[in-house]
Amino acid sequence: MLLAGSSRRLVAELRDALDSCAERQRQLERSLRVSRRLLRAWEPAETLAPEPTPGPETNEEAPSAACAPSPQDLKELELLTQALEKAVRVRKGISKAGEGDKAPSLKFGSIATSPATRASAPPSTSRRAGSRASETEPPRGIRQTRVPAKDLPEHRLLSVGDQACMGQGAGATKPESGLRNEQIVLSAASQAPEAFTLKDKGILLQLPEAFRKASSRNSRLWAQLSSTQTSDSVDAATTAKMQFLQKMQTTSGWPGSRLSATEVEAEVRHLQKACLLLRLRMGEELTADPKDWMQEYRCLLTLEELQAIVGQCLHRLRELCTVVEQQLGPWPEGRFPRASLPCGGEADPIWSPQLLLYSSTQELQTLASLRLRVAMLHQQIYLEKVLMAELLPLVSKQEPLGPPWLALCRAVHSLLCEGGQRFLTILREDKPAD
Amino acid sequence: MGRRRRRRRVDPADAARALPEAIAALSQTLPAGPSPETFRRAKFDRPEAAPAFWRLLFCVLSPQPPNGASASFSPEAQVRSVKLALRTQGYPRRALAQLPDDGSQGGRELLLALAWLLAREPLPERLLAQNRVQLGDEMHVCECEALASPGPPAPSVEADGCVDIRHLQWLMGKLRFRWRNLMASQQEQCALLGKIHSYTRGCHSDRSLGHLSVTETELLRDPEGGRQLLRRLQRENARLQAALEWRRRELVFWQWMDTVLDACPPEASQPTFLPRIPTPGAGALEPLVRELQALQGELREAVEARREAWEAGVGGRGPEWSAVRTALREAVGQDLAALRRACERSGSLAQPHGPRRLVRTEAGAPRGPGLRAPEVIEALRSREAHLEVVLRRLQGQCRQELARLVGALPGLVWILPPGR
Repeated sequence: MLLAGSSRRLVAELRDALDSCAERQRQLERSLRVSRRLLRAWEPAETLAPEPTPGPETNEEAPSAACAPSPQDLKELELLTQALEKAVRVRKGISKAGEGDKAPSLKFGSIATSPATRASAPPSTSRRAGSRASETEPPRGIRQTRVPAKDLPEHRLLSVGDQACMGQGAGATKPESGLRNEQIVLSAASQAPEAFTLKDKGILLQLPEAFRKASSRNSRLWAQLSSTQTSDSVDAATTAKMQFLQKMQTTSGWPGSRLSATEVEAEVRHLQKACLLLRLRMGEELTADPKDWMQEYRCLLTLEELQAIVGQCLHRLRELCTVVEQQLGPWPEGRFPRASLPCGGEADPIWSPQLLLYSSTQELQTLASLRLRVAMLHQQIYLEKVLMAELLPLVSKQEPLGPPWLALCRAVHSLLCEGGQRFLTILREDKPAD
Repeated sequence: MGRRRRRRRVDPADAARALPEAIAALSQTLPAGPSPETFRRAKFDRPEAAPAFWRLLFCVLSPQPPNGASASFSPEAQVRSVKLALRTQGYPRRALAQLPDDGSQGGRELLLALAWLLAREPLPERLLAQNRVQLGDEMHVCECEALASPGPPAPSVEADGCVDIRHLQWLMGKLRFRWRNLMASQQEQCALLGKIHSYTRGCHSDRSLGHLSVTETELLRDPEGGRQLLRRLQRENARLQAALEWRRRELVFWQWMDTVLDACPPEASQPTFLPRIPTPGAGALEPLVRELQALQGELREAVEARREAWEAGVGGRGPEWSAVRTALREAVGQDLAALRRACERSGSLAQPHGPRRLVRTEAGAPRGPGLRAPEVIEALRSREAHLEVVLRRLQGQCRQELARLVGALPGLVWILPPGR
């Protein structure tokens, strides 16, 4: 059942499809690895490794987490431990079941005090340089949230909670890093780390200050960038740009308004999209059941209109063919860009990402699987057309009608009509030996 | 007169500074941007400006992120790649193609090319958006990125060109298997995302987001990675700032580019020979032509059949008929207006486009800005249904065609597989 030379194209197309699946799988695997790791207990692995620090802070840093804390730190630690124990007691009373023995050992990020007892253990939460043992609660370090009834009452959070036991070494309070304050306090005390899990203590996390600032600045800048598209001073620049382009064109010596290869490609993709839309619409009209003569006539008119649009598309396509032949060269591979539909929405790009809201995991899964399904269908349709173009001629060309040809027919039928999943059976009726 | 000196509208010192500042903003927002001094040298076509501009154009035009890719390209390859890319996009000046491949000349021409690219599209914004630091968990709602592009086509392995059809069957099976794997992995990823989002609810400083994304949680878990992320974010902020600066000041740049263009010698008007560039040849458009023709044929049949039925039928008579007919025509025209627009040359798609940050909300929460998953699911479901119809139709065509081809054979019974 050997096929002739044009099968190279088939194999290439299938290999392409396989490669793009593989690439997608790789990306997914990467994300999965990260997500799985986040949902496990977070490793305090760096406790022992000396933290490579940039220059100036080195002298302030202890090489490892195990260096002796200062007396002030110890005092704070004492206060923190008390606060923790109290918090754990309160939590135990509230949480549904004793989910494991939450020993009052210091956990990363679970430093919580109930609103009523905030005065007793003032956590030093400030991220600013130097202000470590503040007596009052600095407004930023602690998140005051109104407590949802079923949640833990302590939503208060310390800056130490961020790092979830990274064991970075003594927390020199560099203003810019903001990522490792008071590590020494915690990491020195974390003798038996009950590891941080996102499930239990995820709600206590808080993003570091520097990051928050950078990130809000980032969204602000993106928003500004999107909005400057429509300001007045832009118009003067736009005019100047148009004039420049025209001048470039006229001084170039080439005949004007030539279509570039990119533009041709874009138009052809657009026409492919249009073809699909028209076909879908035609399908709707053909399957509709007109109930009265008005609907019938309307259906007729619609089909005529569709016919006209198709004619225009065809005309445009033929024009493009001429352009390609005359002005541009032939493509060596003979393969055309993917039939998968790329978006054409370049009218008004909004540069920063917008939101997609979902309300349950089920919804998200449905959404994602539908996306994949649509992509898969696009690919299947594309491959189907390619296979049709290559395999059907083969079946019709081959004259010898012996068993090899039957086997070929069977295989081709399976590939083309059943997606390669099912096979038909061929029975030969023998003439009765008589 | 009086004490007030006649004030000029523009302080010349300011005017002299405006251009370098504009160029400085531009080059800060672009990757590998040269200094304003290099721009000035390029105007006068000084050779030392050329390499910087070749590099800049390569970074701007190459599809990959400009981090490691440029290292693998030799300067000559970079030059050729830039020339090809510009020609593909329709750069109108021939002088560029005639520049030597060693990248030693052409500062002014390259400056013109850069300006041409800047004039045609919002280039700094697009580059920034492509290499954006992704802070959220993102999903595309459009179909652009549903499958990663496979990259440049691998050279065909089969030298002899003969392939067993069983190999094709095997490849198809492998493809189906990979799809199933993808589906399963995707479901798992969504489940994990859902968990992470719900476990970190209330943690984000931005109330409209509400919970942390994987990236943000990861930066909490791994501070070193977090620091790198922060640095990237700060770099991006600087470039964004520069882009805004550029937008404010760019007018003076365009005025200057006018003078640059004037400084060029005029191009000879007789057409010179240019090397052919690989583009989709007319032959590659054939499948689409055939499809459209097939569609046209089907429509023609349908229309003829229905018109005959109509003429032979009882409707459409009487004096009020023409008014009704006009009304119906208008209605149909309006009905199809959107479709017509989408099919016409510059039709833009109404679908939402681009990546979207996933945000988990409570079901009863008030409507904030953003697309809602149920709507997208609806749209995707109808899309899926349509595509399935198309696929079934194609398969049906194949079945008919095969039946026709083998139908002439006597003595054979074809039993179709069950489960239709």
